Amino acid sequence: AAAWSPWMSALAHLIPADFARRHLRTGRELVRERQRQPSEHLLSTGVKAFDAALGGGLRRGALHELSGRRGGRFSLVLEALAAATAGGDAAALIDLGDGLDPQLAKRAGVVLERVLWVRPRTLKEALASAEAILATAMPLITLDLGLPPIPGGRGHEASWLRLARQAQDQRVALLVSSPYRVSGTTAHAVVELRQHRVGWSGEGARARLLDGLGGQLEMVKGDRDRVATPYDVRWRVPSAVAPNPAEAKATPTRSATATAPSGRGQAGAPRPQTARPRRSPSSAAGSRLRAIA
Amino acid sequence: MTRHRLACAQVPLFPLAARLRSEPDLRDEAVAVLAGHGDAARVVAATKRARRAGVRAGFTLAQARARLPKLIARPQDEECERAAQEALLDVAESFSPRIEDAGDGTVYLDVDGLDRHYRPRDGDGDDGGAELALGREMVLAFEQRAGLLARVGFASSKLAAHMAAQQPDSPAIVDAGREAEFLAPLPLARLTPQASTLGTLEQWGIHSLGDFARLPASEVISRLGPAGEVLHAIARGEDPKPLVPRTPPPAYREGLELDWPLVNLEPFLFTARAALERLVGRMQRRGLGCHRLELSLDLEGDGHHERSLTLPAPTRDLKTLLTLVRLDLEAHPPGAPILAFRFTAHPDQPRSAQMSLFGPEALSPDKLATTLARLFALLGPDRVGSPRPVDGHLPERSDLVPYAPPPPPRERPTPQSGCGLLAVRVLRPPVPVEVMVTGNAPADAPPPSDPDPAAHPAPSRPLSVKSLLGEETRRRPKIQGAVRVASGPWGLEEGWWQENPTTRDYWDVELSSGGLYRLFRERTSGDWFVDGVYD
Repeated sequence: AAAWSPWMSALAHLIPADFARRHLRTGRELVRERQRQPSEHLLSTGVKAFDAALGGGLRRGALHELSGRRGGRFSLVLEALAAATAGGDAAALIDLGDGLDPQLAKRAGVVLERVLWVRPRTLKEALASAEAILATAMPLITLDLGLPPIPGGRGHEASWLRLARQAQDQRVALLVSSPYRVSGTTAHAVVELRQHRVGWSGEGARARLLDGLGGQLEMVKGDRDRVATPYDVRWRVPSAVAPNPAEAKATPTRSATATAPSGRGQAGAPRPQTARPRRSPSSAAGSRLRAIA
Repeated sequence: MTRHRLACAQVPLFPLAARLRSEPDLRDEAVAVLAGHGDAARVVAATKRARRAGVRAGFTLAQARARLPKLIARPQDEECERAAQEALLDVAESFSPRIEDAGDGTVYLDVDGLDRHYRPRDGDGDDGGAELALGREMVLAFEQRAGLLARVGFASSKLAAHMAAQQPDSPAIVDAGREAEFLAPLPLARLTPQASTLGTLEQWGIHSLGDFARLPASEVISRLGPAGEVLHAIARGEDPKPLVPRTPPPAYREGLELDWPLVNLEPFLFTARAALERLVGRMQRRGLGCHRLELSLDLEGDGHHERSLTLPAPTRDLKTLLTLVRLDLEAHPPGAPILAFRFTAHPDQPRSAQMSLFGPEALSPDKLATTLARLFALLGPDRVGSPRPVDGHLPERSDLVPYAPPPPPRERPTPQSGCGLLAVRVLRPPVPVEVMVTGNAPADAPPPSDPDPAAHPAPSRPLSVKSLLGEETRRRPKIQGAVRVASGPWGLEEGWWQENPTTRDYWDVELSSGGLYRLFRERTSGDWFVDGVYD
């Protein structure tokens, strides 16, 4: 180093100062720039709190487990699918509970053409399906185990271990969403989701409207710096969310009944002031439903 | 005149070799293949172990068993021979694009110019050294890829190449222009002339090809006609007919006639696996995948069972194909013991993906096709696909279309944060529940004309929810608790023009247990169901 230093100082004198300012970076600056850029090894889920809990997103080549009985677990799965497919990646949803509403998923921003929807009947079939899909090296595979009771229990730990190994080999981000922990010690990161509160609007017993749901994420296994740190998430009902641009452009579908526009079925619509609220059971169909009140 | 160099590959004792290809465990046993039925059956070929014990071609089974009591006898199987011949042709095609199918374990190859690609070994000499190297490669390929021990001969005419392939030292080379010299000592019967022609020539005192070739051509033609002209040209080492190139088959077939009827599925799949493996190997050598697989079963009592399996995309994954066959036969059993089977694979070019430098990676179509076929086999086609929104009102509506993702964008778009939408987990079918309600006006009471809501009683509101007990609901989510907050009702009507329209009143309820559910009451029956969970 001592022999090199005179050469380096001589070289430094040869480089114009403004050129060095514009084109040269110190090591520290490079590290900072690198940290600012999203890593190609991480897949963002589109949920800031979840990304923060995971240290930037789902790691490609690792199994992640999201557990919790309620609090927006399925919403989080849909957000992850939306983020991946909107970015042009293919993704798979192994839906053990058969709970996907394609209309709602589209509203959430999921590019349905890029999603492989698999509906197994048992956990054994779900694990076999996950193993088969892992061979395609899809960037994101989500395995949603639905609501308890899970048909097939927790599965063998060896199965989860095999999935984790295969995800590692194929560089696939595998997200397992389960009401309780199932993957044992094989998960790279485990995040628990708890329901914080349910948001209702209106006063009294006759004028309540569902606003949304609050949840709390807490990493129970993973990076030591983030373990036990709670992260708040909030989910809003479809009528309170701006419509998906792709959906907004779509031609309105044929209506089966003579409908009146719902108060909350469309974004930006005024909230009904009557005692009996008008709204839809499902977001996409909301504008086409007739309120009986 | 420039003459093409030809190679002839011939499998000695072809009926036996074809049988041993299908049953490789018998290679070291004393086996004889018999043609014909009953007492008229005659040995056509036998393994070396059987021949050593004195079993010869033409023996009856009783004569052969008298020499060797433990002799394993197998009937001549046309299916095996046809599959072995096709395998032989496939391997030959990997050496030369111009081959002629001569049948019975024989194939001719146009090897003109191929010797340039093979380096002769030290000591082979310059003349014919490269052809020797090519011949050795061919013998090795026939053994390893087709499971057949073939002999190879090189010459400039078909008969000379065929005769060279029958030499004990394989590969045998007949130098260009010396075919007549090579054929001269061979007996006249090798020309396989008609019996009358052969008798005439023997009356003339001609016993070898050399004697025949020395006769003046014009004299032979004037006495024996056009047939004599052809035979004379062959005897001189010339080919009167050029090599007729074979067109590739539209489908690949493999099969076997079983020695005894198979009743259970497992032993059949064990046997079928070997045939499928050979089929996949042949398609792999040509870079093809199976697009449709047909299974033809011959059953006891002259029965026949045909199945056709269409794959979502061309694949040559053996495990997938075998699983599909298993599931299909489980769903559609043949109903009688199986005597013989035949697989026919319709090939197609596997799909390929365009790689991207800057955008997201595209999925490998080949791997995707294999995965989809495996998922179809595992779950059924109605449970795998791409979700599609459906026009309608019922929240549980959904549809599947075949999964064919569009090509990824050239550049990855900037990631956007999510919209934070509260999703509903749909319960298919809805879970029946028992609901306690307040005793006011029914929920489906007509809307009041008076705009003042206080003047009219509120509709019945849910007070508590409890899953109905029963076999159907045993494995469904358990929903129970007092209603903490209820919001509704909202009406849903669909198909009012039909005889049984759907009319429901929906509620959002938060239970004391913390769950948030979407609840509805069928107006026609008055029954309550939960069809969604906010999660």
